[in-house]
Amino acid sequence: MSDAAATLAQDRQKLEMSALSAPAVIFTVAMIAFPVVYTVWLGFQNFSSTGKQSFAGLANYSKLVSDYEFWHGLWVTIALYVLSLVLQLVFGVWLALVLFHAKRLPGIVRSLFISPFMMPPVVAGMMWLVILDPSLGAANYVLQTFGLPPSDWLASPTWVIPTVALIDSWQWTPYVALIVLGGLQSLPPSVYEAAQIDGASPFKTFQRITLPLLLPTIVTAAILRSVDLLRFFDIIYITTQGGPGNASNTLNIYGFRVGFEFFNIGYASALMLTLTAIVFGAVLAFNRLRGAVAW
Amino acid sequence: MKARMLATHVALPVLAIAAASAQAHAADFEWMKFKGKTVTFLANNNPVAQALLTYKADFEKLTGMTLKVDGYQEQQMRQRLVTVMNANSDEVDVFMTLPSREGEQFAAAGWYGDLTTMAKTDVAKDYDPAGLSQALLKAATFGGKLTSMPMNIEGPIFYYRTDIFKKCGIEVPKTIKEVEAAAGKIKTCDSAVTPFVSRGLKPAIAYTFSNMLHNIGGTYIASGKSNLCSAKGKEALDTYSRLLRDFGPPGVVNYSFQQISALYRSGRAAMAFESSNELRTVMEGGARLKDTGLLPFPAGEAGQVPTTIGWGMAVSSRSKQPDAAWYFVQWATSPEVQKKMALQGIAPPRPSVAKDPEYRKWIDEEPVRKEWQAALDVLATKGSSEVGYPIVANPESREFIGQAVQDLILKQKPIEQACADADKALDALIAQK
Repeated sequence: MSDAAATLAQDRQKLEMSALSAPAVIFTVAMIAFPVVYTVWLGFQNFSSTGKQSFAGLANYSKLVSDYEFWHGLWVTIALYVLSLVLQLVFGVWLALVLFHAKRLPGIVRSLFISPFMMPPVVAGMMWLVILDPSLGAANYVLQTFGLPPSDWLASPTWVIPTVALIDSWQWTPYVALIVLGGLQSLPPSVYEAAQIDGASPFKTFQRITLPLLLPTIVTAAILRSVDLLRFFDIIYITTQGGPGNASNTLNIYGFRVGFEFFNIGYASALMLTLTAIVFGAVLAFNRLRGAVAW
Repeated sequence: MKARMLATHVALPVLAIAAASAQAHAADFEWMKFKGKTVTFLANNNPVAQALLTYKADFEKLTGMTLKVDGYQEQQMRQRLVTVMNANSDEVDVFMTLPSREGEQFAAAGWYGDLTTMAKTDVAKDYDPAGLSQALLKAATFGGKLTSMPMNIEGPIFYYRTDIFKKCGIEVPKTIKEVEAAAGKIKTCDSAVTPFVSRGLKPAIAYTFSNMLHNIGGTYIASGKSNLCSAKGKEALDTYSRLLRDFGPPGVVNYSFQQISALYRSGRAAMAFESSNELRTVMEGGARLKDTGLLPFPAGEAGQVPTTIGWGMAVSSRSKQPDAAWYFVQWATSPEVQKKMALQGIAPPRPSVAKDPEYRKWIDEEPVRKEWQAALDVLATKGSSEVGYPIVANPESREFIGQAVQDLILKQKPIEQACADADKALDALIAQK
């Protein structure tokens, strides 16, 4: 077979493969694109309380600027995000180090350590709602047993954000630990051997070798958790529904209520697209950071 | 939208026509008319639907139809409905609805099928549409169209611990002021119990607060404007929030019916203002069976104006088979089925069922059931179905009522500011068309 004929046959094969995979590709792209395009379109619509629809132009987006609940929701979202992410990264790295060095830890104990993130968030939310109930819950019982004052936990406007961050961190720290553990297991042993020969202390080894080498893995974990944390919904919906007052009313909760309880789908779409843009921004920022710390 | 139950002056002409027509058409009525069809029912997974669906097989046997149940928790059910209706989908034939909450909104959106004609032209001999609570039917009538048929009757009632009252030497309160006085005495007499508990969760507050507002003599709207800053409005806001702040459990701002029932059932609350529907939950385990008394909420300056609502069954305006759907609605709200549901603790919206000997026997088995029925009788005769603002944006109005109450419970605002902020937001809602 001449070269030209071989190239022709290859091209034909490529074309056939493309034609065969095209329906699946088109279907997948449509499934992703349609909801996005539809939401963008809804963001330009006005829905009355009765569902009557009219073109609103950019009115939904200009309404965001003067909407106190939007700015408050943004603040709550960011506060919850920063607090939860810091807790999960710090304790996730610590847990990963414990699991990495405790080689003799039985498999069942390792499984228990990482089990919370396998629990559906709704179940976790219900469980913590009962534990943290100021009257009937176990948390205050434990505090009072040790002579400490009881807390209102989820019912306190001051403590609700830290409490929700703690619940989410209880659930997702093991997930971060699992990612970091994978990173720890892939670190080159030769670097540690060199550090040992040079007489580096365990703290110096962690500070100068482990942490810098782990940074790309930690940033990856941060990206994955950022996407979830900025869209925080389930645990808040189960435990506080955005309260007390609007103290835990994240953008996602606010958008849900505007859309599904007050039926203003247009404004809810604008809120959700703004939140999507924030999520994209955070992911892009972390991606750049990952590039900077790669080794 | 005030609904004085069973008062003759509110009887709907449409029901009179329906009742007369029922006689005319009963002879032609054939339950097997839609044999082979499938009716989809969007249900709220609450005790009312659970009791009804116990008899699902009876419906299928009677009609030869298949009943497909799409069940969700209350808010998720509404989410599903919003999606289905906005998509103009015929996936749902029948759905559960609370006319007091979303009636105006759904009616204005055109989501309810008009049952007026069906109730006239296609009624079984024993259906007796005129035997249904006239006030609940009126509450479900918008723009002259009957939009749903009542499944139950319910409202917040006052649960109190007879043993604690006796121990502390307290008389059963007859007025709101006496409730507060009783709570004060219990606080000093038995510090281990919460003196008073009611709803403190923002979106849930309107259900119980409305009863207090109406008992005190307040109204939500006066001269087309929100009226929370009126003297009566402020008195209601102040009294409700003070009762919960000074005598309620810690964390009451997250309390809805689940937490209230759990607290009272566990013996850690002396008085609870909660739904009549919670009787079964409160009595679970039997610990509260012998030491609980029940009353409509004690009177204010305007007497007793209890909140009375009921779940309804509506036919979707998008349904391609409204006639078959109506058969299911009719079966589910028939005297026979409602009697069976009543024996499971679902208060019947038919006075005739409430008087049925078998039901009376069940009621007479326990004194607390007798008191429950007596309280429901007051709800049926004196009740108002106004929960939150009687406007299209009723669900949203409940947010602002709840916010004002929470602001006061948490001492985040003085009453003047809390009510003024609420009135400002509510005036904007009232102005919406």
